[in-house]
Amino acid sequence: MTKIRLLLGKDLRVLRRSPLLLGALIVYPLVFAALVGAVVRYASDRPTIAFVDLDRLPETLTVGGQKFNVPAVLDQVNRSAELVPMEQAEADRKLANGEVDAEIVVPRGFASRLRGMVDSPQLVLKTARGGVATRVEQQTQALVYELNQRLQDAYIKANLQYVRLIVDGGSGSFLGNEFDVVGLKRAGEMLAEIERTTKDAAVAARARELSNFVRQATLALGASDESLRATANPIELQIDSQAGRSWLLSAQLQAYALALTLAFICVLLAAAAIASERDENVIGRLARGLVGLTDLVVVKVVLAVLVAVVLGLVIALVFGILAVVFDVTGGEPWARLPLLALGLVAAGAAFGAFGVLVGVVAREARTAVLVAFLVALPLVLLGLLPAGTVEAAHWISKAFPFSHAVDFFQSALYDNDPWGTLAREALWLAGLAAAFGAAARLGMRRLLA
Amino acid sequence: MLALRRVGRPSLSPCQGRRTLTPSLLSARGVGRRYGRIVALAPTSLEVRAGDALALIGPNGAGKSTLLSILAGALEPSDGSVAMGGNHGGPKVGWVPQRPAHYQRLSPRENLELFARLEEVPDAAEVADRFLGLLDLPDDGRVTAELSAGNQQRLNLAVALLARPDVLLLDEPTASLDPRQRRLLWQVAAQVREQGGAVVFATQNLEELERFATRVAVLIGGELVFDGTLDDFHTSPEADVFA
Repeated sequence: MTKIRLLLGKDLRVLRRSPLLLGALIVYPLVFAALVGAVVRYASDRPTIAFVDLDRLPETLTVGGQKFNVPAVLDQVNRSAELVPMEQAEADRKLANGEVDAEIVVPRGFASRLRGMVDSPQLVLKTARGGVATRVEQQTQALVYELNQRLQDAYIKANLQYVRLIVDGGSGSFLGNEFDVVGLKRAGEMLAEIERTTKDAAVAARARELSNFVRQATLALGASDESLRATANPIELQIDSQAGRSWLLSAQLQAYALALTLAFICVLLAAAAIASERDENVIGRLARGLVGLTDLVVVKVVLAVLVAVVLGLVIALVFGILAVVFDVTGGEPWARLPLLALGLVAAGAAFGAFGVLVGVVAREARTAVLVAFLVALPLVLLGLLPAGTVEAAHWISKAFPFSHAVDFFQSALYDNDPWGTLAREALWLAGLAAAFGAAARLGMRRLLA
Repeated sequence: MLALRRVGRPSLSPCQGRRTLTPSLLSARGVGRRYGRIVALAPTSLEVRAGDALALIGPNGAGKSTLLSILAGALEPSDGSVAMGGNHGGPKVGWVPQRPAHYQRLSPRENLELFARLEEVPDAAEVADRFLGLLDLPDDGRVTAELSAGNQQRLNLAVALLARPDVLLLDEPTASLDPRQRRLLWQVAAQVREQGGAVVFATQNLEELERFATRVAVLIGGELVFDGTLDDFHTSPEADVFA
């Protein structure tokens, strides 16, 4: 234990003597986290969609007596997707070469079918293959849902006019045919008159029966306004905006910033630290009974853990102070620091053990740093892919500490009941640390050769 | 003088040989080292006895450094084993590899203190202080990477001497030393032998061989082709190695 402490002290002293390297290792992942966050956010919020209007939609479209300002509707869509009007050939070409994520086509006859209100006109969506296709489909479905919501009122009003025509009677038109309707009220009056004036008891009884039906039908159709709206919206979503955390202070960004910083610093540091023992020709001296090879692996993992805890807590403190200064609600920046520290230890150990393994395989410090960077970057990006986007990537990322660290930090910082997630992710991280550590120990003899 | 003297041991000059059978300190039994298909050292047996000043000679790539690393315990042999003679867990071995083996970002004092503590030497700070003075090492706070090659080699030697070794293994130790520093090195080596220890050194230097060796082992292409006294070496065909 004393020898581990001695070598750890040496490593920390050496680290302190490389402030430029340490600074770069801290700043780089933070900048990277912010950039990745911005790209992910931008990419998920505003896919570029080509808009092909084959029907030449008018500026104002009247449906069921309700007027729609088409450019205003398109502007609304522009908030969630960048809708770029273009001709079909150009749109097809841009979709094929990936300049746009999808293509929405308004077919000829769209407006007239919409005005007719008999059947549903169709919008055509074309998407490219690949990871964004699902997301674009979801966003386009949201767009169609939004348009349907706006059209729904017009459809309900139009339907209600027909209902009122049936109840009150009068003139109407359907598919261009004009007609006159007596109406239930007038029919009721007529039946009452027949019942009163007829001398045939059987006719009077039938008229009374019909009169009862007309009264019930009138009452039932009188409630059709509410029931039609209820049928259209079985569940209505009420949006109530509150002053929650901004994206910059979100749990997601903080968790990603922590995990990214640790992923790069711990892996690179541990890889370089173990390989430099060989570069400095010291490993042979140590291996002559001064320090066991297992102890040497432990030293580098503990070094990664110490750096992870210190840097992680500094980052958490900065986020916490910003949350207090800007008076944002949500999350418990101070109360959850001990839980966060636990995650930093587990994540630091897993990343550190992985770094030692990389260093042992690479053998030379410069190569180790390069290999560690080249390995860490794609693994981090795999972990950034949302679950369900690319299933294989999701499972590969599970075999590395990054996604587990993110889940742990998110849960530790913001879940109301984090224990289940914390236990699961801590076990994952501990298991990965043990597996990578054992593999590194097996390879340590390479450094002696 | 260096503080390595032990009471009651006979004194030897660096070049004085021993013909009588003396206790074995280290015994390499069929040790060999392979890297895949490449044989760096064929199975080799070699005895290091108290009082030996054993010179390992041979052309570049002959396996001298590999054999020294195996004797030092710094490299695991692919074949065979190294047995330690003597009592109390065997002799202490000090290893001075050809390329300095210490931390470049630590100062000489920090290196000496660290290795003294790892060697479990009592009063590590005091011992480090003593070796800084004895080997005339700079103590101005500069890290080792900023020192000359000669100073680095002396620090390399100092680290090997920290635990008062019974066997000193030197791998071409004088390559970057000036004449005064070379004399100092051989004085240290002589003291180790005076105290009942042994010195094994790899060299390409004929003068060092003639002046300091009592025994010669010749390695060629990873194989031990000669092991005998300096006199026997002079009359053997292997002497052509230095021709």
